[in-house]
Amino acid sequence: MFRHNLKYSLLAGLRVRQVIIWLLIFPIALGIMFKVAFGGIYEKQDLFTTFNAAVVMPNGENSTLRSVLDSIENGDDPMMKFTYTDAENAGKLLCDEKIEGIITDTGTELTLEVAGNGMNETILKAFCDRYNANVRIITEAAQNDPASVPAVTAALMQDIDTVNTEDLSVGNMNYYDEYFYNLLAMVALFGALTGLTVAVDNQANLSALGARKNCSPTPKSVSLSADLVSRFALQTVCMAVAVTFEHFVLKIDFGDRLGLVYLAAILGGFLGVSLGFAVGSIGTMDAKLKQSISTSVIMSFCFLSGLMKGDMKIIIEEHVPVINRINPAAVISDCFHALNVYSDTKVYFTKILTMVIMTVFFSILGFIFTRRRKYASL
Amino acid sequence: MADTVVRIDSLVKRYKDLIALDHLSLEIKEGEVFGLLGPNGSGKTTTINCLLSLLAFDKGEIEIFGRKMTPTAYDIKREIGIIMQNVAVFEELNVYDNINYFCGLYITDKEQRKQYVEDAVRFVGLEDFRKFYPRKLSGGLLRRLNIACGIAHKPKLIILDEPTVAVDPQSRNRILEGIEELNRNGATIIYTSHYMEEVEQICTRIAIMDKGHKVAEGTKEELKKMIKNTETISIEVKEPSGEIMDQVGSQPHVYLTEYTDGKLKVYCSGGKHNLIRILGVLQEHDMHIGRVYSELPTLNDVFLEITGKALRDKED
Repeated sequence: MFRHNLKYSLLAGLRVRQVIIWLLIFPIALGIMFKVAFGGIYEKQDLFTTFNAAVVMPNGENSTLRSVLDSIENGDDPMMKFTYTDAENAGKLLCDEKIEGIITDTGTELTLEVAGNGMNETILKAFCDRYNANVRIITEAAQNDPASVPAVTAALMQDIDTVNTEDLSVGNMNYYDEYFYNLLAMVALFGALTGLTVAVDNQANLSALGARKNCSPTPKSVSLSADLVSRFALQTVCMAVAVTFEHFVLKIDFGDRLGLVYLAAILGGFLGVSLGFAVGSIGTMDAKLKQSISTSVIMSFCFLSGLMKGDMKIIIEEHVPVINRINPAAVISDCFHALNVYSDTKVYFTKILTMVIMTVFFSILGFIFTRRRKYASL
Repeated sequence: MADTVVRIDSLVKRYKDLIALDHLSLEIKEGEVFGLLGPNGSGKTTTINCLLSLLAFDKGEIEIFGRKMTPTAYDIKREIGIIMQNVAVFEELNVYDNINYFCGLYITDKEQRKQYVEDAVRFVGLEDFRKFYPRKLSGGLLRRLNIACGIAHKPKLIILDEPTVAVDPQSRNRILEGIEELNRNGATIIYTSHYMEEVEQICTRIAIMDKGHKVAEGTKEELKKMIKNTETISIEVKEPSGEIMDQVGSQPHVYLTEYTDGKLKVYCSGGKHNLIRILGVLQEHDMHIGRVYSELPTLNDVFLEITGKALRDKED
């Protein structure tokens, strides 16, 4: 009996238009849109590309400065390229946006002239400040204790870092990948629409099909279980398609643990289906109203997880962090994020466990409310 | 004496302040085509839903095949076929798969089920539509599919809740003939409708319901005998004078006369040759007579006389 129900539930489920539209076509279409929209931004993520600056030495050649600048320019992928010129030409180059700034050696210190306020200008400012500070230290050492100059110079050559850096990431830290994680979370939660049909198709007060099933000698638990398993299976296929498309077609970097990405996506899908099943089972509103409620709930969860506004999850984390812990969309997208950012899988599996607990909770809730045997009204 | 298939005893169902069923009692015997007739909102569907244990009720008892009906009485449910008022099929499954699915809820043996499904397809005349999806079927064919899904497992008791609503006359006739055939094959039928013609045509016994009460029960002949009117004579004629109206009204067995819309209506209670006597009176006064017809009482007349209102609105 279970197999018979499962077979036809799968057959029917595969042909439900909303499954095809919302769970297969929509994520692919939205993924392509995201890729097109963020494509340019992706390329701009190459932050440390070489940029140009002009160097003006009105008081003649400064060999020390020259050797420092040469050391920066050397190498396969230099951060800066310098043009040695006079003040007038340098100003022209800056106006023409051929260079990011003008470094002028006044004889006592370096001054900087820039036309904007971006990352490159900040790097130039940091370089000038550091150079000026080092020159001051060496000059003071020479004045106070000339013998100490070599030691001071050697000390300055050592790049002492007070921060111990530990690389936690094994993947990329691309901010825009969050949108794709949230898209997967949304697809997972759209499973709620199919989960809802499990409740609707089995309740006599919600559909004629439910009434007919309730009149049959098939126990409701069998019919419900078969329908739920079939929706889980369908959702698994849809999630697998979505992840595969994003990773292999749109080339979204999910790191090197793709198996765990699929696992998170599939469990996220289960969570979506069970959420819909629970929403569909509670209350006596008609099926259409329940569908509207489910859609609203999904979109609210997605909004709070940052699908529509990228930094929403951060805002929530600052003010009401508990929402991020219980919002299914946030839990699912955090799971992908954790997998991509941390080499350690502790956070990932914490999120996986949260999803499993939520899925079990919603499923039990659905069973409890749907398995009622008689209705007060139909 | 046939066995009792369904026994409903003093059933009460309330929706808050509204009493949907007020101490309703019915007994349906094996082999009957039992009609539940009543206007919309009279409690027919509520009765069926209680009977099927879909609806909780406040008071009363229901027995089917001599056993108490409960939501988990699967052995009883196995013997019942239900054809709902609303079409209950999967839009995503074709005709054959729909029938096979619903039959499979009752029949686990695959070979037997295959045969039953074929029988059902033939029975409703959907042989040429096996691979059609419900959205491609006309209203009448869809109703036939709905019926096939309800009867494919060859139940002993078949409940049809207004199965001909919004169905074309051809499909309606086919459905009614099908119901009679199911009955001939041994099934007991419960048929609810507000179409009195259908109920008169196929039902062997009828209960008339109104506002949750059973207002009358019996064969159609028994029901018609319950009322005063046995014949209504309508004559198209110019408005008769008061004297003529008095003469017509004083004829034997005539208990009421009225003139409306160019027709003289004469209501008779029993007797023979009423029409000849009334036409004689009119001819005596040289009245020019148009069309004449005599109508026997209908279930609507029964309902009208018992409840004081028509069974259904004219647009039905």
